[in-house]
Amino acid sequence: MVTNRIDHTWGMVVDLDRCTGCQACVVACQAENNLAINEKSAFLEKRALEWIRIERYWEGEYPNVKARFIPIMCQHCSNAPCEPVCPVFATYRNDGGLNVQVYNRCIGARYCINNCPYQVRFFNFWHPTWPASFENYLNPDVTVRTRGITEKCTFCVQRLRRGELEVERRAGGRLNDQNMAERNYMPACVQACPTNALTFGDHLDPDTKIRPYFDDVHAHDIHHEQERTTRSYLLLEELATAPNVIYLKKVEPYPIGENEHNG
Amino acid sequence: MKLTRRNFLAWAGLSAIGAVACDAFGDDLKTQSPVNQPEDLVKGRDNWYATLCRHCPSSEGVLVRVMEGRAKKVQGNPKYPINLGKQSARCDAGLQALYHPDRLAGPLLRINGTLQPVGWNIALDKLKEQLETRGEDLVLVTEPLSGPLGTIAGRFAQAFGGSHITFEALSNATYQAAVKNVFDQELLPDLDIGNANFLLSFGADFLSTWISPTRWSIGFGDLRDAEVGSGRGTFVQIDPRFSMTAANADKWLPIKPGMEGHLALSLAHVIVQEKLQADDVDLQALTGGQEAGFLADFSPESIGPKLGWPEAMLGGRSAAESIRELARDFASHRPSLAIGGDSAGAQKNGLFNLEAIYALNYLVGSVGATGGLRFNPKSPLPEWPQPPVVAALAQWQQVVSALNEGKTKLLLVHQADPVYGLPQAVGLEDAIKRTDVFTVSFSPFLDETSALADLILPDRIYLEDWGADTPNPGPGFQVVGIQQPVVNPLSSLDPRSFGDILLSTAQELREDARLPWNNLLEALEESSNALFALDRGSIDAGSEKEFWTKLLRQGGWWDEKTTGPAVKPTEGLYSQIAKGASEPAALGSSEFYLIPFAHNTLLDGRNTHLPWAQSAPDPITTVTWQTWVEVNARRASDMGWREGDVIRIEANGSFIQALLYPNPALPPDVVAVPMGQGRRNGPGYAVGGEERESSNILSILDAALVNETGALAWAGNRVRLAPTGESLRVSKFEGEYAAREIGNQIINNPGEEIIKTVAPGGH
Repeated sequence: MVTNRIDHTWGMVVDLDRCTGCQACVVACQAENNLAINEKSAFLEKRALEWIRIERYWEGEYPNVKARFIPIMCQHCSNAPCEPVCPVFATYRNDGGLNVQVYNRCIGARYCINNCPYQVRFFNFWHPTWPASFENYLNPDVTVRTRGITEKCTFCVQRLRRGELEVERRAGGRLNDQNMAERNYMPACVQACPTNALTFGDHLDPDTKIRPYFDDVHAHDIHHEQERTTRSYLLLEELATAPNVIYLKKVEPYPIGENEHNG
Repeated sequence: MKLTRRNFLAWAGLSAIGAVACDAFGDDLKTQSPVNQPEDLVKGRDNWYATLCRHCPSSEGVLVRVMEGRAKKVQGNPKYPINLGKQSARCDAGLQALYHPDRLAGPLLRINGTLQPVGWNIALDKLKEQLETRGEDLVLVTEPLSGPLGTIAGRFAQAFGGSHITFEALSNATYQAAVKNVFDQELLPDLDIGNANFLLSFGADFLSTWISPTRWSIGFGDLRDAEVGSGRGTFVQIDPRFSMTAANADKWLPIKPGMEGHLALSLAHVIVQEKLQADDVDLQALTGGQEAGFLADFSPESIGPKLGWPEAMLGGRSAAESIRELARDFASHRPSLAIGGDSAGAQKNGLFNLEAIYALNYLVGSVGATGGLRFNPKSPLPEWPQPPVVAALAQWQQVVSALNEGKTKLLLVHQADPVYGLPQAVGLEDAIKRTDVFTVSFSPFLDETSALADLILPDRIYLEDWGADTPNPGPGFQVVGIQQPVVNPLSSLDPRSFGDILLSTAQELREDARLPWNNLLEALEESSNALFALDRGSIDAGSEKEFWTKLLRQGGWWDEKTTGPAVKPTEGLYSQIAKGASEPAALGSSEFYLIPFAHNTLLDGRNTHLPWAQSAPDPITTVTWQTWVEVNARRASDMGWREGDVIRIEANGSFIQALLYPNPALPPDVVAVPMGQGRRNGPGYAVGGEERESSNILSILDAALVNETGALAWAGNRVRLAPTGESLRVSKFEGEYAAREIGNQIINNPGEEIIKTVAPGGH
């Protein structure tokens, strides 16, 4: 039988105080993962595919106004609402703690899309097409999804698998923050992010940079009004989906409405 | 054995048993088990090559993943000192230029009025013939070049008695002039944003497009890191437009366009008056010995009311008090850094603005210090032009005159689209269309300039060609970046290297041209040997050949031990600066200040043919594929204008159209329009939009010049807006994800629910 041993539990920390909304992660993801080109019509139909997206929220209006950015990708929930509703077990949690999508099982029921509170699952309403010459740049490690298939962020599982193959099976080492960064095994968005707002790692590993945040979240349950020691929070935490993506609150020295004190 | 249905089923059954039996191997098979994805079924090996990205003015070091002769992914080179393994969206998108379906396959010659494919022999003969017959006073136009290509282009033009001129729609000429006047430096300084404790930026959209945005973004990440330097730094942006950078500031202060320099001098006045300057500042030199009445004309009381600061922002205090507060914050939270650029330098008084802004760094001791400005040493390769020559608009006006007068009869254009990027008022398009002017383009794609050319000799894409760059600004030490071909052109294409064409042509026609190299590679190898002879820096090698190999593997050479010069102010610097002060003219009724801006991914239009760049939503408006005009949301609503209304933007006797985007943050008297769209000639993805939703704001700008530098004052225009009565849907990302239901409740304020905030030091 295939063992179901947990080798890693991959997770990400997103520091909202650093994210500038620059779109480097968005384009890096599209380039890495063979996403169909979002033509103008895709935006007009509200069917643009972005495995990682930047949401922009306004607060206030001129002159006391803020625009805030947040990158949102699959949260790789440990208690994923998308998984139990799939009629064909196309989506499940794998032994790296990833929420994965088996494309050749997917029958396009779209229950998972409906049940995902983060809206990070995408349906291919059309067969993706590229000009023939663009097919030259398609990543051979990533399946091109056909019409009728649901797709989503994989934390660049192809890079993690390469890492496991090269570092763990061939060299007998273990993937860690350092060799993942040096040898291009980090997810494409994390590698690209110019402000280092995204940090990725294995939170089973006590030495990884993301570990303190996961420890904090695991130790302090906001549902029991326990206060955290870091800026950590989970997206839509009240749903108890147990995401493997932690957000760090944006630091706000001059909140709107405090002009009297800060000018 | 004949394959019958029965046989087939039997074999299928056997193989199923085989699959179960093989499970004994455990882990080795798990990736091929049907419940796991087949990610590692691809057995080929990939190679990662180091080279330079050429899709921004700041060449970033990149690694390109190549598999089976095809480039697959471009990403930052972790060793390259400028971008330290990071990259912008533009670098990734650049891959699409390589495999673009509409690359020109080979040379095109205008025959009977239309461009027709010809062979390279015919095309090169035509080039030589034109050089011989009308080469005198030729003008060779390129992008700013700081590698060997810059040397080659300069000497080539000289050999034929012509001139080499560079083009960039948003040139750095004014910024360079300010750095020269304030710091007496030719090279631009590095900005140590990461170690600053207070960053004050005037107009520079440095997180998006200004100068070296990836490098500044890395610094910005560190600025926001409580563990770096003296804790989380504060960032204040002063900007007439609510840019992406302004959105990321802790505090954004709008300002009347053109008043940036006055505010900076007012801050200096307060710092000196209240004795807030750093301890070792040579006030005697800065003030010229006139400390008592220092910048008296720029007191907060006289400047405050002119800045256009709304009362609602000031919270019951006067503008003068707010200036004082800002000056105290800036001076007391050292290391503090003042920077300026983009619209602040693109006014008629742009040079004054930038000088006044950068001089602030002297007062807080940030010149040549940690958390301040770091100056750069000269290039180790003096043969290469550094900094690259940047032509001002005034020079372009001279070129157009020379074309019209019949003095210049041959125009050679490489990696530049001046017909698109210059205001129509300059008249380049008409000059090129003259029958006595022969234009040669080296563009791999059609664009507005090459579409008018008489001969097109398509260049290689940067991933197929050699090159080098000495970054300006450097990181505070000497850096030479190397660009190498990582793939060959597809067999369906036959481009030739621009540098190689210049070299071979010059050798044939002008033996005295001081261009001894047979191709660009030879020139690069010679420079590599010169670096090897220095015997220092990042590469340790025993021979020239070993050095060359390591140079290519690293993506360049650098020497972190080199440092820039020490910089001191000239005597009476502030009185010099104050002399240039001039206030912008008042806004007419029903007029708006127009602030055009470089698009986050399309920049000045150079990336419009890349679908990844087109489809990356603008950070603030989330609009894609279209041209929009941002108008204050409340003012638009008062006038009855709605999102998607087609608006006529009129200036200087001409107009363009764009779709309205009501922006809640823009000042009511400012409109902002991105550059980039509105191409009429070009490859797929760049063209095809209707005029109503795809237009070029640069075309209607007044050809006004920045005082003294002669650069285009592109942010100094006023416009009138008129709705056309038509409306189109805006192709934006915003609204694709609606507010969602949680439990039984719809989130009322998704911004606050989704993006949580905390006071400094809290959790």
